[in-house]
Amino acid sequence: MIFREVEDRDLIAKARRGGVDAFNVLVSRWEKRVYNYLFRLVRNREDALDLTQDAFLKAFQNLKKLDDPDRFAAWLFRIAHNEAYSMLRKSRPEGELDHEPRTHDLTNRMFPVELSLAVESALNRLSTDQREAVVLKVYQGFKFEEMAEILACPVSTVKSRLYTALDLLKGTLAPIALRGVE
Amino acid sequence: MSCSSLDLRAYVLGEVDRQEQTACENHLSACAICRQEVEQLSLTRTALLSLADEEIPQRIAFVSDKVFEPKWWQGIWGSGPAMVFASAALLSSAIFVHAYSRPASVVAPAPVARIDTAQIQAEVDRRVQAAVAKAVAEVEKRQNAKTAQVLAAAEHRYEFQRQADLAVAQQQISLYRNQMGRLMVAANYPATRGEQ
Repeated sequence: MIFREVEDRDLIAKARRGGVDAFNVLVSRWEKRVYNYLFRLVRNREDALDLTQDAFLKAFQNLKKLDDPDRFAAWLFRIAHNEAYSMLRKSRPEGELDHEPRTHDLTNRMFPVELSLAVESALNRLSTDQREAVVLKVYQGFKFEEMAEILACPVSTVKSRLYTALDLLKGTLAPIALRGVE
Repeated sequence: MSCSSLDLRAYVLGEVDRQEQTACENHLSACAICRQEVEQLSLTRTALLSLADEEIPQRIAFVSDKVFEPKWWQGIWGSGPAMVFASAALLSSAIFVHAYSRPASVVAPAPVARIDTAQIQAEVDRRVQAAVAKAVAEVEKRQNAKTAQVLAAAEHRYEFQRQADLAVAQQQISLYRNQMGRLMVAANYPATRGEQ
């Protein structure tokens, strides 16, 4: 991981001097993570792909504005976050950005065949902010400070969103996971 | 350490330092409620991680890809020397095209064959006479028609006047006859009375 970070820093330095090939390596390295983050956020593959493309293009155009190359990941995800929320605001009214209730009860699902569906459905029951916090923490492994940087909010807000989401997910997923373990 | 002073979610998510981690582990060994809470949070995290990342359906276009390259005209437009060269090439092309496509020079007229002026004059005279004759005939025709029309109108007026005069004469005659009759009656009347 440390070796990779060093490599990223070198690539960023080359890309900032106009090295297109160096930036292309960065794209290859980060595209899957950015795509999955955006896909779990917007829940549409085509939109996620377009947003990923736009995010990398903006990253290349604004690479000289990146103050600290060591913060490239958070900076890149911040761009992706902005792109996603820009699209969500255009495609859905403000009120619909949040809670989307699902009526079916997940506790009757079987483990492990439908666990993925249960997780997906449970994530979809969260608000966009809560889901994004879970994705950034659980799936992307960012620290609280990095999440605060990506989301442009205090760490306390990040914790609040994440903990609320975990409590909701725990009520749905823990019983299913427990049956699977048993 | 009390349950409320521990951030068990941060502990499960790996967001605690070594000192906080030790404190949590000590507390969990003695508190069944918190142990159950951590167990449920861990199960939740495990369930979440069962949702694997997807492979990206399509490679993200590199910045060096064709789609991001400027068009040929954008390259010319953005380059001063290339723009000057393109302008010069366009101007010279226009000159050549104009030179090759301008109208051909006027061809000298072919020599006119010698003709007989007397024959032409005779033909002209013949045509003039024919035209004059035709015009005269038309004028005479129109004049005759007009004369006939005027005569017919005069005759009509004469006949009408004659009829009118005849009617007046008949009325006069009738009037004279009546007067004559009355005079004759008046002349005979005294004699008749005297004889009585």
